[in-house]
Amino acid sequence: MSLRQRLLLLFSLTVAAAVAAVAWTVLVRIRHVFELRDQEETALFVSQFQREFQHRSAEVAAAVDHLAVSERARGMAFEIVQSGDASPYLTEAQTMAQDAQLDFLEIVGADGDVVSSAQWPARFGYPEPAVTGAGEAAFLKREELPDGNSALGLFAVRPIRGAEPALRLVGGKRLDQSFLADLPGAPGMQVGLYNERESSAGANNVSGVDTPPAFDPKQLVGTNGDVPSADRYQALIESALKTGKQVSGIVYLTARREDSATAIPLKNVAGRVMAVLIVALSREGMVEAQHHIRAIAYGVASGGILLAIACSLWIAARVSRPIEQLARAAEEVASGNWDVRVPEQGHDEVSVLARSFNHMTKQLASQREQLVQSERVAAWRELARRLAHELKNPLFPLQLTVENLVRARALSVEEFDEVFRESTATLGMEIANLKAIIGRFSDFSKMPKPELERIDAKDVVERVRSLYEGAASREAKIEFATEIAGEPMAMMVDPELLHRALSNLVLNAMDAMPNGGKLTVSARPQGANVDIKVADTGEGLTQEECERLFTPYYTTKLHGTGLGLAIVQSVVADHGGTIAVESRTGNGSTFIITLPIAKPGTPSREAAAPKSTRPSGSGDL
Amino acid sequence: MFRRFAISCFVALLTLPAAARTRPHYGGTLHVEIEGDPWQRPNGIARRLVFDGLTTLDTTGAVQSALASGWESDNADHRWQFRLRPGVYFHDGSLLTSTAVVQSLNLDCPANCPWATVHAVGSMVVFTNDSPMPNLPALLAGDDFLIALTVSADGKTSSGDIGTGPFQVTSFNNGLLVLGANETCWQGRPFADAIEIRVHRAVHDQWLDLSIGRAEMVEVPAEMIRQAQQQRLKVLVSPPAELLALEISDNGALANPMMRAAIAASIDRSALSNVIFQKQGEVTASLLPQSLTGFSFLFPVDRDLNKAHELRGGLTTPTLTLSVDGDGAMRLAAQRIALNLKEAGFNAQEGSDGGAQHADLMLRLIPLEGGEPFAVLEDVSRSVGQTVLLPDSSPTSLYRAERDFLDRHTLIPLVDLPRAYAAGARVRDLALDAHDLPDLASASLEDAP
Repeated sequence: MSLRQRLLLLFSLTVAAAVAAVAWTVLVRIRHVFELRDQEETALFVSQFQREFQHRSAEVAAAVDHLAVSERARGMAFEIVQSGDASPYLTEAQTMAQDAQLDFLEIVGADGDVVSSAQWPARFGYPEPAVTGAGEAAFLKREELPDGNSALGLFAVRPIRGAEPALRLVGGKRLDQSFLADLPGAPGMQVGLYNERESSAGANNVSGVDTPPAFDPKQLVGTNGDVPSADRYQALIESALKTGKQVSGIVYLTARREDSATAIPLKNVAGRVMAVLIVALSREGMVEAQHHIRAIAYGVASGGILLAIACSLWIAARVSRPIEQLARAAEEVASGNWDVRVPEQGHDEVSVLARSFNHMTKQLASQREQLVQSERVAAWRELARRLAHELKNPLFPLQLTVENLVRARALSVEEFDEVFRESTATLGMEIANLKAIIGRFSDFSKMPKPELERIDAKDVVERVRSLYEGAASREAKIEFATEIAGEPMAMMVDPELLHRALSNLVLNAMDAMPNGGKLTVSARPQGANVDIKVADTGEGLTQEECERLFTPYYTTKLHGTGLGLAIVQSVVADHGGTIAVESRTGNGSTFIITLPIAKPGTPSREAAAPKSTRPSGSGDL
Repeated sequence: MFRRFAISCFVALLTLPAAARTRPHYGGTLHVEIEGDPWQRPNGIARRLVFDGLTTLDTTGAVQSALASGWESDNADHRWQFRLRPGVYFHDGSLLTSTAVVQSLNLDCPANCPWATVHAVGSMVVFTNDSPMPNLPALLAGDDFLIALTVSADGKTSSGDIGTGPFQVTSFNNGLLVLGANETCWQGRPFADAIEIRVHRAVHDQWLDLSIGRAEMVEVPAEMIRQAQQQRLKVLVSPPAELLALEISDNGALANPMMRAAIAASIDRSALSNVIFQKQGEVTASLLPQSLTGFSFLFPVDRDLNKAHELRGGLTTPTLTLSVDGDGAMRLAAQRIALNLKEAGFNAQEGSDGGAQHADLMLRLIPLEGGEPFAVLEDVSRSVGQTVLLPDSSPTSLYRAERDFLDRHTLIPLVDLPRAYAAGARVRDLALDAHDLPDLASASLEDAP
């Protein structure tokens, strides 16, 4: 990742994080404010409901009270007390309930048994437990009905005045859909009543343990009958049933609708929760406002982030451009172009760096020029030294021979002739020697350009082995071994030059083992390259020798020119490869030529250009 | 002397209207209102006005001749022959023949009849059976065997409302059945020229119409007799005429007779009689009323909840269906019985009459007609699809037969109920006949022309 990208990423993340933090804070705060408002609104409606509930309780109590003091009830009570016969009033409760618009009414005798029941006329003679312990206030009671069901109602108990012992009236109103429909409402508000069914211990529970019945969505009725998505209120209702306390929460009815719901437990005289009143207020407006604000926040945040990215892009480009120029200039310097310069603008740290870089490259170029000149002088000196050294050896016999010839003029003709023949022979030989020395130097100065062909490393090794194996074993008692990998190792090389380089290494190895040994030539692929190794078991080389071995005119031999390995290195370098030596004194030496494997599709040897007319050969380069 | 004569004449003049009032007048239209169907079986109010039986019952419950002028049995009551009264005509003018009688009886009783075969022999109608039929004359007085014309003189199928009774059907439209007097009735012409029967009228509406003079006779359910009397209506109350009984299926959950016995022991009859039927019924555990047999008290009527629990033995049944044959007090009685059963460990659910065919329990009213206990027992048992064995006509056999029947616990007698009607002030000589139905043919209107 480039510096510009890093800077861009850093700036963008920083700005995005800041924008997100601000947006989140705003949203949380807004949500909190809305929640508070919603809670206040819900609490207001709940208190209204509770007041309405109390009002209904008072209505029921008043209705029953009104009945209890009516002439009709008092006359009935008087008759029953006087005659002791309540049977004529079997249907009286139905009539009175109709008149008083009560859903439930029972006339209970002094003994606590039902005299007449509006809701279940057949219950006459059965005890009504609600009359015992009932106070003035209305209370909640579940009333069983003839059809096997039960209904929840608000009840009140009042004695019928004027008759002793007193009869009592137990009247009530049903808590059902019509009750819910009469409750004060608001747009978007939903009211439901969950009727807690009788626990299993009530009827046929064998264990006797009062286990609360499971939540039944059908028991939740609203003003229009069944409440849609009733199961969504399960948690609230169950909590209210369990704790007996008012519970509030948010109910997610659909993916797009949520309500603030409050579950109000309705308890009987004994404190048992008989039903749960659900007041659900739609949060549609609030949710829409929140969505609107959220959308705006997201829009602003997205715009801010995009703007921040654009600014970051500009800033990163402005900051990173001089550094990128410096980096490119440094790469140019590394590749050898020391004349590169970077613009020097401004007065900041980057411009100081640019000026320092330019100064540095200027200094480096100057020093390189000086070094080149120094090396050139040193090379000439070395060349002169070598030439002097090489030429001095043949010149000395030439000088002695010429001096012998001069001295031989005093000898007899026969002796002079003999000396003259010997001297001319010596002169010819030494002159030939001089020519050979000069030829070698000429060859080194005129290294041919490689003519590349696609050949296998195996073929190169095999060619060297076939050429030198016999001579090595026959003359120097050297065991010649080859180790070639099985897979193909195609290379694009000049076969003649590589053969000559490899031959030079083989001959050097044979020279390093005058008393015999083992010479191993191997070829193995090494990643994208081929390693060709020539290893001997001779005396080996010192560290210093290893370091100087490829320097021209350096030799460890008595009669070497020191150009052989330099030429080998030159050949290998011309093929894009490298050569190295691994050696320790006494353990032999290994020369490693590393050449790149030819890419597929490059022409093979047969398909290559016409073969070079250069003659093949071997020997010391 | 003259003064004495004048006083005598004045007194005689004063007594003339009174004497006139004591003599029934012919003419006028009787307005009757009922809650049910006038043709319903048994004892639809129009049936005995339009149709006659081969026999009938007098006010003491004794069998009297009607369309049959006489009868005799052969072969130890295995064969009976009834001689038709001559000169009796149907309302369409066709002569009553033995063939018409046989056709009517076969139509009335396609199965489970007291006889095996019935056929016409001249003017005789002959009944035969494999077992003795000692009570056949009394049974033929019942509502099930009234004679109607099934095939008219021209060979077409009759509408089924042509009989030989004192009134004939004039029209039946918009809930108003109009009956006209049968001038040629073999019993003599009725006093009223016509009877208008308004059907499906609620009892309270009937009473209202009675009070404002729009009706001359209305129904009074048993549970409202006391109320009617308190309102000073002229109420005609019969002796026990219907048996309120709980029919128990002996299949399914109640196949076990112990369970049925437990149900019988769990019902509080006194609550039904004293409260629901306002003390107008008589609690009973026997099929036949005490007035007929004299041994009804031998069957215990008290509720025994402990015995019910003991008989149930801890066994539970699925929810029992309890159907009701009727409304009002009948439904209330059914609810009360369901409550009683709940205390005994049974869960019974009262429902409508629609599922009566498959109900486990059915509360129904069974008519008790006639004064002949053997015939009544046979009639009651036949009405619930069962038979009783009566080897002889001794009271012991009757008791054993009834005991055996009740020991099956498939029919639990609860309350004997009367029938009652209220008559308006204009109606004279209205009385209940031996079938506990108002004898409208003998009633007349006081201000009739």
